[in-house]
Amino acid sequence: MTIAISAEVLRQIHAHGEQAYPEEGAGLLLGRRAGGRKQVVQILGLANTREDGSRRNRYLLSPQDYLWGEEQAEQSGLEVLGVFHSHPDHPNLPSEYDLEWAWPSFFYVITSLRAGQAIDSRAWLLADDRSGFEEEPIEVYQAQT
Amino acid sequence: MPNIKIPSPLRYYTGGQAEAEVQGETVAAALDDFIARFPDLRQHLFNGKGELRPFVNLFLNSEDVRHLQGLDTPLQPGDRLMIVPSVAGGLDRVDHSALRTNQAFIILLGLLAFILNSPWLAAFVALAMAVGTVLGAPAFGFVYRRALRPLGLVKPDVLADNPEPHRFAQGFGSVVLFAGAGAIGWALVWLVIALAALNLFAGFCAGCAVYYWLGRLRVPGFSRTPPEGRLPGMRPRPRPSDGR
Repeated sequence: MTIAISAEVLRQIHAHGEQAYPEEGAGLLLGRRAGGRKQVVQILGLANTREDGSRRNRYLLSPQDYLWGEEQAEQSGLEVLGVFHSHPDHPNLPSEYDLEWAWPSFFYVITSLRAGQAIDSRAWLLADDRSGFEEEPIEVYQAQT
Repeated sequence: MPNIKIPSPLRYYTGGQAEAEVQGETVAAALDDFIARFPDLRQHLFNGKGELRPFVNLFLNSEDVRHLQGLDTPLQPGDRLMIVPSVAGGLDRVDHSALRTNQAFIILLGLLAFILNSPWLAAFVALAMAVGTVLGAPAFGFVYRRALRPLGLVKPDVLADNPEPHRFAQGFGSVVLFAGAGAIGWALVWLVIALAALNLFAGFCAGCAVYYWLGRLRVPGFSRTPPEGRLPGMRPRPRPSDGR
């Protein structure tokens, strides 16, 4: 399943990673399903609730923040489609730790940053048997919806 | 009957359903009934030992059941049990102090084997490295974990890094050392000593570089890529508060 993200939302995801640098930044992807693809229309940047010192290479969104995100989505007629997070100074490939903590059917959009600048984002989906991630192409579109 | 609220990522398995009525007088029984209806959910909610995965939170009427009686918490008809995700992830981490302790031991024991002219000692080091590779840990890392770190002699140096290339490097070193201890001779033992020293003193892991090069050639099983802006095999840049 393709994930479609508007250029503007992708820019916001990159800006969120740059603001969090050198720590990891994360948040939820809100959107809707439309004709065999999932379209991200909004992001919710959330606090990285990891303890001090760990935030440079780990992120954790609290259950309360997640619930709040799901409520926000429902109020706007959207659903939580996945999660975005940054890998400061590391490639945008999912780690073993990402795999261990992954939820099924969620898109994981990972942004790599080098020296504080976002380079690129890739989207990943957990395999049904939890054996690994499969990459899903990101379709970037310009239009306003 | 109690009700279970299903979070977005699991609705794929419930045909889009956001709530389900379940039977059971405890949280555990309610979950059993829930999974009996949607069996594909089991692997995502429970680990291989049948324990709830750490990222699965259960809230009973907005109270975390971990603060109640856990899975034994009783349920009343009309109770609302919510499955709430902890969303987490991030980079893998490697404690480079454990790696450096390992390299120091490989160098010292390798030199000792040469001085004593004892291929058996070299073979023992190779065996320890092979065991470490299988267990996914540095062979002599236990000295660091059990003694050097608890005594405060060596501080942790936890960096965002891929564990796999280091594991490969140790396995590679083990094979070369076995060959050296066997028929081929001391030159190979010296090669392992030299590469361990290169890693210990210059921060360059030759085995890791080989791993990343194989990855670049798209050899299956070599999927990790080096940290951004670093040459393959070079230690990631230290950042003062990494993982501490």
